[in-house]
Amino acid sequence: MLRDITIGQYYPAKSCIHRLDPRTKIVGTTLYIVSLFLFKSFPGFLVVGTAFAGVLILSRVPLRYMLRGLRPILMILLFTVLCNFFLSGGEVVWQWKFLKITKEGLLRGTFMGVRLILLIFGTSLMTYTTTPNQLTDGLERLFSPLKVIRFPAHEIAMMMSIALRFIPILAEEADRIRKAQMARGADMDSGGPIKRAKAMLPVFIPLLVSAFRRAFDLAMAMEARCYHGGKGRTKMKPLRYRTADLFGYLYMVCYMATIILLRIWQKI
Amino acid sequence: MKPVTITGLVHDYVTRDEEGNYAESRRALDHVDLDVEEGQFIAVLGANGSGKSTLAKHINALLLPTQGRVLTCDMDTADDSYLWEIRKSAGMVFQNPDNQIVASVVEEDVGFGPENLGIPTEEIVQRVADSLAAVGMTQYGESSPNHLSGGQKQRVAIAGILAMEPRCILMDEPTAMLDPVGRREVIETVRRLNREKGITVILITHYMEEVIDADRIFVMSDGKVAMQGTPREIFARVEELRELRLEVPQVTELAHELSLRGVTMPAAVLTPEEFVEAYRANYPGTVYAEPPIAEKRPENTDPVLSLKDVRFVYGERTAFETVALEDVNLDIFQGEYIGLIGHTGSGKSTLIQLLNGLEKATAGQVLFRGEDIYGEGYNRRELRSNVGLVFQYPDHQLFEATVIEDVSYGPGNQGLSKEEIRERAEWALKLVGVAPEQWQSSPLELSGGQKRRVAIAGVLAMKPKVMILDEPTAGLDPAGRDEILGEIDRIRRETGMTVILVSHRMEDVARFADRLVVISDGHILYADTPRAVFRHRERLNEVGLEVPQVTQIMQMLKEDGIPCREDAITVAEAVESLAASKS
Repeated sequence: MLRDITIGQYYPAKSCIHRLDPRTKIVGTTLYIVSLFLFKSFPGFLVVGTAFAGVLILSRVPLRYMLRGLRPILMILLFTVLCNFFLSGGEVVWQWKFLKITKEGLLRGTFMGVRLILLIFGTSLMTYTTTPNQLTDGLERLFSPLKVIRFPAHEIAMMMSIALRFIPILAEEADRIRKAQMARGADMDSGGPIKRAKAMLPVFIPLLVSAFRRAFDLAMAMEARCYHGGKGRTKMKPLRYRTADLFGYLYMVCYMATIILLRIWQKI
Repeated sequence: MKPVTITGLVHDYVTRDEEGNYAESRRALDHVDLDVEEGQFIAVLGANGSGKSTLAKHINALLLPTQGRVLTCDMDTADDSYLWEIRKSAGMVFQNPDNQIVASVVEEDVGFGPENLGIPTEEIVQRVADSLAAVGMTQYGESSPNHLSGGQKQRVAIAGILAMEPRCILMDEPTAMLDPVGRREVIETVRRLNREKGITVILITHYMEEVIDADRIFVMSDGKVAMQGTPREIFARVEELRELRLEVPQVTELAHELSLRGVTMPAAVLTPEEFVEAYRANYPGTVYAEPPIAEKRPENTDPVLSLKDVRFVYGERTAFETVALEDVNLDIFQGEYIGLIGHTGSGKSTLIQLLNGLEKATAGQVLFRGEDIYGEGYNRRELRSNVGLVFQYPDHQLFEATVIEDVSYGPGNQGLSKEEIRERAEWALKLVGVAPEQWQSSPLELSGGQKRRVAIAGVLAMKPKVMILDEPTAGLDPAGRDEILGEIDRIRRETGMTVILVSHRMEDVARFADRLVVISDGHILYADTPRAVFRHRERLNEVGLEVPQVTQIMQMLKEDGIPCREDAITVAEAVESLAASKS
């Protein structure tokens, strides 16, 4: 059912990775992504792959969940790989009319493909092990030093968490509106793209009106509960670093040092 | 210290044009005076648009007086420096349960208020635990609000207010969007908080049953306080309440009607027990044998719709698999008026969506005029214009710029000619009683009752053979509800259409339906005349449903040894019977 959809598909499990502070995981994921772009040859994947596999095992997220995360980007992945296969210059290994595959293209395509897969793996592992709320909290805290330069860290985090709360509600409402219009003979599944877009109007308008009404109601309810921005607010569940987070950061330091040193020595 | 003191309060809603200049103003509150004592349970009654919500927003300083003064816990709401102190002292629960829950986890939402007040973490945790316990929601602390029922969500909202440790709770129609079970949950919760914790409660509502044990009732009309007093004082003025578009509970109405017929009755009877006692005290003991009420059974023509061994499963072969309907067999005949009863989650929403093909049964057959709607090549879009379905919230279907265009949407989809579309739209609007002056206005600007009418017209314009209405009176005040139900009954008589009315209110279906279909737990429990169904009071109570209050009273009298028509299902029938056994 629609109300069961969650953003960033959290995988509930009791692992030490799940228990890490969200800030640790956000920093870790960011470093991981940066590291993916620090090397230019295949041996680098060995380091990244080992480091990632270690975390994956600790997180107790099954591998098939990780693979499932690839499904939505399968087209992009194929496109990137094939573009590299066919459009690179160099030593030709296969040719058919104007299409040709080069050795360099093969290598580059595979390299890009593996990099993209590891990129998706890394970010989905974060969303699998961190609830959307924790993510929002983590981001708020990480960006809060920027408040000095008037960066609205609290406001952005609040907006994100409200969006997370209302997306399933609005999705369910959209479904109900669609049915109400279908009951009036609306035909939403046939015709060309323009006709279909036009057929969506009777769903879109009531949904928009309702979203505005909800926004207005919620703003009033928040005001009535003394909300007045981030100033002077305390937290019911403040983020606290634990010993595990220290190990987490140590792991990151070691990992980044390995990558950078290998890069300096031109090994990868 | 007084929780609320209001003197000479005036509120004007000012509309401005695009340049921000004054355009017009509407007076919502007109010199209101109101006093609330500490620890009281106060009810504010009033029809839609009588100004009662505006009043509540003043107490919470969400609105500021145009004239006059509002003191909340001795603090002037016009004084800016008291703003947060006022909102902390007088917490407010709103009508829509979804639109006031901020967080995606129950306990975090309850903690939202204290977080805003800057309470230290350990104390927030303690307050959240206490508040959830006070509303009986401890076990749901870590749930997502999306998985709770309406009543549970409102209890979470109340807990969110309690966590700010208020002296007073304002409730702006907190039960208007709930089913009877949820309504009871919420009212019992606030009543307990009022009694046990001494928190002052100000409850705004138009459900009379909720206010019978209030300490004081204020009745609003046209922005003024039209009546005030104890429930007994207020409910004694039955006619005046009716003029203010309100009603009294059936038991009070029954006693009132009987006293008009010369039966000695106290001024305002509030509960069935009181009634039985009062009636027995004056009962002369003469036996009056009554002829049975003639039952109108539907004629056995060919059914217009039939369900055969229908089973419906949600999310088949997933973790969320739930059986919504099982072993459902039902024949619906042309021209019948069916009341479909069952509480939220019983499967009744699924059932009505099966009837017009919006959902497809997992197993079994649905026949429209003998034809299988799942048959190959069957035109389900045409079926939907034959079996019209009006959903609960008119806002879910109104989208055009004008009323007439919106009503034309359905017939437009049927591929009719321009003239025919126009003709049908006008016919439908006239039938539901929307005046031509309103045809060019935007449907979004209409009142709640008018919106319902336009939504019903939007389906009627397709000239369906069967019309299904899902809770067409939800959120309307008593007079508005009676008007809509009256329209539906009249339309049925004028067009010979089959009507299926989904409702929580037994009193309504008892008055109009030829047959009741009671659904519980995905099964049809009863499908019979209202009179026959209401004989099963105990079984109905077991599944969380109630018989009309008047039927309950008659059954209690009968059990008490007073011969009367225990199968009376309307106040009129009960009056007939009781006034007769009297003489």
